[in-house]
Amino acid sequence: MKRKDFITSLFAFIPLGTGFAGITFMGARFITPRKSEKLYRKIFAMNLDDIEVNESKPFFDLTGRELVLVRTGENDVRAISTTCTHLGCKVHWEADKNIFFCPCHNGVFSPEGAVIEGPPPRPLDTYRVQVEGKVVYLYSQIAES
Amino acid sequence: MSLTSWLKKSFPVDDEALAEMSSEPIPNHLKKWWWALGGTPAYMFVVQLVTGFMLIFYYVPDPNQAYESVQHISESVSFGWLIRGVHRWSANIMIASLILHMMRVFFTKSYRAPRELNWMFGVILFVIMLVFGFTGYSLVYEQMSYWAMQVGTEIAGATPLIGPWLADFLKGGDMIGQNTLTRFYAFHVMILPVVSMMLIAVHVYLIRTLGVTDLRFKGEEKKDKKTFPFWPDHATTEFVMVSIIMLMLVILALVFPPHLGAPADPNNTPLHIKPEWYFYPVFRWLKITNLTWGVIGPMVFLVLLFFWPFVDRFFEKLFPKKDVAFWIGVIGALTITIFLVWETLAAH
Ligand code: HEM
Ligand code: FES
Repeated sequence: MKRKDFITSLFAFIPLGTGFAGITFMGARFITPRKSEKLYRKIFAMNLDDIEVNESKPFFDLTGRELVLVRTGENDVRAISTTCTHLGCKVHWEADKNIFFCPCHNGVFSPEGAVIEGPPPRPLDTYRVQVEGKVVYLYSQIAES
Repeated sequence: MSLTSWLKKSFPVDDEALAEMSSEPIPNHLKKWWWALGGTPAYMFVVQLVTGFMLIFYYVPDPNQAYESVQHISESVSFGWLIRGVHRWSANIMIASLILHMMRVFFTKSYRAPRELNWMFGVILFVIMLVFGFTGYSLVYEQMSYWAMQVGTEIAGATPLIGPWLADFLKGGDMIGQNTLTRFYAFHVMILPVVSMMLIAVHVYLIRTLGVTDLRFKGEEKKDKKTFPFWPDHATTEFVMVSIIMLMLVILALVFPPHLGAPADPNNTPLHIKPEWYFYPVFRWLKITNLTWGVIGPMVFLVLLFFWPFVDRFFEKLFPKKDVAFWIGVIGALTITIFLVWETLAAH
């Protein structure tokens, strides 16, 4: 190829190539859902005396996901997510065995959410909880708009 | 001008080429009935196209209406039970016949040169059909579909490197919802049909240009004619097969109509949860391994399957006298069968 031809093609192909790359990039961005920042809101969960120590009760966060509130001490409450950390199924509380059981791939968690058996890679997630006097608050993610 | 001469002028066709195309010589072994099964998945695909397009007339891809629309198809639309039933049964039989087809290609070593590429196209087609089954099942939006969607997208999310992007891409957001259903619908009724039609065309083109592997059975004389004509001999066989399958599909849809479980509930995973049977082996594997191996295992299997013609050549060189491919095939098929049976029998 002659030098002049080479330079001519350079002038043709660099802008064209950039253009195609740009369009490809924009297309890829289009099919990728936009991530909004996760926002949390402090919400009222229950009164401390709604349940006894070592008792639990189900609750729904603002995205509609179910979780359990467990009163672990006189003034301590834990909010444990019931979404399995393996592949996202909902765990069941089995009172007779005192475990959370995930029916999808037989994951077993302790009442505190620790993995006892099966494929889940980490303990059940927990929500941030605040106990102010007799009132229990929970930090819930806000549903995407 | 007569109609034929007008047609010939405005739509020129090479008569000779057409004659040659339709009188493709067919190797003798296709005279045996079970070899005519090769065309079953192709025929099933046509059935899926026709019944699938019909289902679109009534199906509503909205999380609040999908379930009811399928219920409506099953219970109120005239012959809805038939069209839905045939779509469901044909999907199952198509995947079963694809598996048989791949096994026969594997064990007759028909993937060897010059057919390596066509084997690879075949593996892609197989994966696409599994995705068809997965997305189609999800459209029903019953409990099992919902949780299959959940687990399936999370598995995609655990893929090394591209996982997080892939999960977002499939779900179209943080959680399973409208975006997910829309995307699954787009894949099931638009993207996958177009892509698979193109791939099937390439697959068939390569079969015809490269020819099928010539197989001989005991008792056949060397001097026997090797082939017989497509028209009318083989076409007749295929026609008989197609009729039998059609009848079978209608009977299956009538006797075992696909049932409809409880509608999707994002806060309650049913205690007894199973995917479609063709995902049983992977499902069982996920239960006995940790997350990383659970995901890497099936991927390694698919990569190996995809590059099998080259892996096979490597083993050929390493052990020229031993039939390694055969034994790997036997062990592989047995393992998958054991996992399938295990999952079928196990309650959990
Ligand atoms: C052009 C091709 C196709 C179209 C337009 C199509 C369309 C549809 C639609 C609208 C539904 C939802 C309605 C319903 O569930 O009754 C559906 C369901 C389904 N599709 Fe397809 N489909 C196509 C091909 C396929 C293929 C190739 C397969 C499998 C290999 C497949 C497997 C399924 C399955 C398993 C269901 C769920 C059936 C049920 O339980 O009702 N589809 N399809
Ligand atoms: S999703 Fe819970 S064990 Fe797999």
